[in-house]
Parts: sequence; structure tokens; C-alpha cells
Amino acid sequence: MTQHDAGGSVPALRTDRLGRRYGKVWGLRDCTLEVPAGAVAALVGPNGAGKTTLLEMIIGLLEPTEGQVSVFGQASRAGTAEALARVGYVAQDHPLYRDFTVAEMLHFGRAMNPSWDQGLAQARMDALGIPLNRKIRRLSGGQQAQVSLTMALAKHAPLLVLDEPVSSLDPVARLEFMRDVMATAADHALTFLISSHVVSELERFCDWLIILTGGHVQLAGPADDLLAAHRLLTVPRATPDAELPGRTIHRTDSDRHSTVLVRTDPVALAVHSRSGWQDGPVSFEQLVMAYLQRPSTATTSDNPGPAAARPGPSTKAVTR
Amino acid sequence: MIWVSWRQHRGQAIACLGLLVALTVYAVIESTSMRSAFSHDGLAACLARSQGTACPTGVQAFMNEFGSAINIAFWSVALIVPGVIGVLVGAPLIARELEFGTWRLAWSQSVPRARWLAVKLALVTGGLIVLGAAMTAVITWYRAPMDQLTGHFQHNAYDYEGLVLTAYILGAFGFAVLAGLLIRRSISAMVAAFIPWLAIRLVVEFVFRDHFLAPLTTTVNCTQGCGYGVGFVPQATGRVGDLVLSINRNIVTYQPADRFWTFQFIEAGIFVALTAAALGATIWLLHQRATWTN
Repeated sequence: MTQHDAGGSVPALRTDRLGRRYGKVWGLRDCTLEVPAGAVAALVGPNGAGKTTLLEMIIGLLEPTEGQVSVFGQASRAGTAEALARVGYVAQDHPLYRDFTVAEMLHFGRAMNPSWDQGLAQARMDALGIPLNRKIRRLSGGQQAQVSLTMALAKHAPLLVLDEPVSSLDPVARLEFMRDVMATAADHALTFLISSHVVSELERFCDWLIILTGGHVQLAGPADDLLAAHRLLTVPRATPDAELPGRTIHRTDSDRHSTVLVRTDPVALAVHSRSGWQDGPVSFEQLVMAYLQRPSTATTSDNPGPAAARPGPSTKAVTR
Repeated sequence: MIWVSWRQHRGQAIACLGLLVALTVYAVIESTSMRSAFSHDGLAACLARSQGTACPTGVQAFMNEFGSAINIAFWSVALIVPGVIGVLVGAPLIARELEFGTWRLAWSQSVPRARWLAVKLALVTGGLIVLGAAMTAVITWYRAPMDQLTGHFQHNAYDYEGLVLTAYILGAFGFAVLAGLLIRRSISAMVAAFIPWLAIRLVVEFVFRDHFLAPLTTTVNCTQGCGYGVGFVPQATGRVGDLVLSINRNIVTYQPADRFWTFQFIEAGIFVALTAAALGATIWLLHQRATWTN
């Protein structure tokens, strides 16, 4: 996985206290995050967590109620041609005009985007074996997803946003699609932001992780750092959260033992560890699931910056 | 954008062309027999000589043969046609994108959505104006013999000649585009736009039109009976083409024939203004409105 330079280059994406209110309800609030250039970032959260709201504000479809979005250092004003041109977007269920042929769909992309790369679009269709004269409605779901992705790529935008790109695909098509995304990201030095609730698909492809629940960012940073900052402890059942090293993210109690996922660091772990405790690394899926299962009322004070694990016991631990 | 608009509205354009062809075929068949009867009866000469007073039997025979088909049946059917065209073209323009989720595709390209809409509206409106003008030309040609007897100011002629037919189409189109944005369902938007269109159309025709300008009055001698125009010659004022509003003893209230174009401009102006308001509101709402999810 790629190591990202935290302070150096301009981030591909930056949101600053971004919020969107629908009537009286906040769909997303106080969302501050960065995705470095070249990252393949996963945006994970349950349905209704605000993922689509966040993505639509990033691509310039939706105007924020508060805060702002910057793409490669330039502030985006929602709905302007400049903002729209900087981000390629594959919407959920990859909508296309079903009565168009593939060639007409590409013609549409060319007509609507000044920086359109027709050569790239046609080369991809050839490589994928998708005939240009076929109607969109006669393509398989996987092929439709590929046409959508191709349209976003041919727009020649440096940041690509994919909203649930694989959720409607079968397992083989999912794998092929994600492999294609990875290869493209590497070949063209692109930055991807991919939302999904299919956690297992993201693990091997994404090097940056953002977890969103209840309209708030719970966790964001390089996937490797985040994994390293969490441990899975097995402790006697009676052990209170306060005695654990670090912050309890998720706890499962069985008859005699409790399995606790904590955010910690090696020093705190060494200082607090007791005999009889077992500890081990967490998997990507365990980490994501632990955060998704937390109550979504958490405030942003629960959201420390990437790789800034706060050692020491915390009274804000959550038990489920 | 021009190609995109053409590709998305191609089917409608072909359907409209088909409608125009069907109308033309009907008009040629019907008008040919009407024209031959008109010349056979020598009505043209009689009209030129005496405004039709010298040949009441010939006029009556002509009216009996063609009057109901052309002035009543055609008028009734054609009454709803501009509205139907307008809502069929207008309602899906935005609603289809919202129904099928393709708005996320259409509006996330490099063209801001207000411009996307403005270009589409300009092109489709242009197409509808061409269609309206062509239909007007065909109907005006088709009715020409009849109009020599009745003038252009009668409802049967006025509603399909001049400018109003095109303006009716545009009005229904404007309402339907707006309804499509607000309702997000093509079929519901068609109904929701058609009903107010028809109501306004009929209220303007039967309540306001007669009074766009203050009517004139004249005194006539009605001892031999005075006609309102259609099927009766001469009209009470003695001039074919005047629109007689009422006859009270021997006072005739009427709109003179030479006000036809003034009235056409006023009525078309009403519908064009409504269209502009509806389309302007649509562009503004599309630009302003925050979300389209649910």
C-alpha cells in the first residue's frame, strides 16, 4: 500500500466543516477531512449515514449549507462548470440513458465535457469487449458499470468519486471492476473516493479509510495507520472499560471473557496490559464493523486526526 | 448540447412530424372537396359581388355540407391538440431524468444544470414554434374557402390561425416542464399541466377575448333577421369577418374584422408570458434547489 505524505503536497480533496441541512435535519454536519493525491479512499457507512450527501457536495451537485469543499487546493462553488469539470462521478446504480447506444453515450460525454478524451473512452470499450453499437439496456450490469466508469475517466478529471459502484454487481463483476479501478488509479495517477457498504470488497483495494455514521466522520486516515492504532483484546469479563489501554470502540461480552476493540498505541498497551489478557491485530473488516456499530450520536470530539491515537484510558468508552 | 437535445427529443420530433403529415393529408382531402364545391357553387363570385347576400341558397348548401365537420367537429378535436402536444413534449423533459435517476449523470458533467436546461428549452421551444407555425399554415390553407364566408374572427377559425395556436402549444409546454420538475413523474406532470392549461385556454377564449378591446356598436335594420355570421350571410354588420357579440333590438355590438391581428397578438402575448414565467421559474428552481434525492 502507498504511504502518503501527510503535510506536503496539496490534498486531492479537502472538506472543511462541511454540512448540509434538509429542512431541520442535518444530513451531514461538521465534516472535515482530507484525501491525499493518489489515494484510493474508501468511504464507509451504513445507509442514511450521509455518504451520498457528502459525495454530491464534493462533485458540485449539491450546495453545502455550511463549510466548503476544495479539490486540489481550489475551492469548489457548487454547480459551476469549473467545479463540475474537476471531478468525475459514477453515481449509484450507474445511471445511463438506456435507449442510447454505447457510442451515443460516449458522444454525450464528448458533448458535455470540454476536456473529454474520446480515444481513451474508445480504447477502454475495445479492451473490455463492449461493442459501441450496442444499446445500453442490452449490456450486463457489469458492462454498464464499466461504461459509467469510462465516462467518468474520459472526462479527464483528477479526482474520481464512485458512489456504491459495486453494490449492484455480482461477485465476479465486483472483483473485475475494482481491479480495473486500481489499475487505472496507478496508470493515470488518479485519486479515487469510493463509497460502499460492501466492506470486504474494499479491504484489498483501498489505502485510505473514512468511516461516516449518523452524519459525522468517525474515523479517517491511512488504512495501515488506522489498523496499527487499534487492537483486539480478550480480557476477563469483569474488567471495566476504564482499566483498558485506550478508548473502547466496541465490546462483546461472553460468559467469561470480553472481546474489546480498542484504539491504543504500543506504549499504552505495554503499560496497562495485565497477565491473562490476550491481544492481537484487527482486520480491516473488524475495524470498520466496530465503528459502524457505535451509536451514531457521537460528536466530532470523538474524531481525532489520522494516526493521532490518544493513549490512556477513556471514560467515553462505549459498551454494547 | 445541441446533439444531446436532439438525441433525447428525436422521438418526439418524429412523432410531431407524423402528426403534421396526418393533419396535412386530412386537410388536403377535406379541403379539395370543399374547394371544388365552393367554386362549383360560384360562391367566390357571389361573395365578391354582394358579400354573399345574392346567393343565400348556395351559401346555405355549402354550410350544410361542410359547416359541422369543419367548424364544429374539427374545432372540438383540435381544441385539445395544442395542449396534448405541449404536455407530451414538456413533462418528460426533466421528469424523465428524475424518474430514471439519470439526472445524476446529466447534471454531473461539465455543463451546469441551469445551462443544460436553458439550452434544451431554447431548442425544444424553437421546434415547437416551427411545428405550431406549420400547423397554422396547413389549417389556414385548409379553411380558406370557409373563411371567405365566415371571416377569421369566429372561434372556429381564430383559434387555429395567426399566432394563438403556437402560443397555446408553448403554454402547455411551459406548464408541463415546471410540473415535471415539481412532481418528478412524467404522467402525473402531464395531467397536472393539462388541466390548468385547458382551464386558462377556455377562460381566455370565452371570458376575456371578446373584451381585449372595447367593442364597437352600430345600428342596423334587422327586419329581415340578422345573423351572427356562421351560416348566415351577411353578418349583422354587413361585413364578412366582423365578430358579432350581441344584437339587442337593432343595436349590434361587435369586434371589427381588422382587429384580428391585434387580438391575436394580445392572446398570444398572454400565453407567451405564462410560458416565460413557467420556464423562468423552472430554470430558477433547478438552479436553486438543493437535492433531488427523494
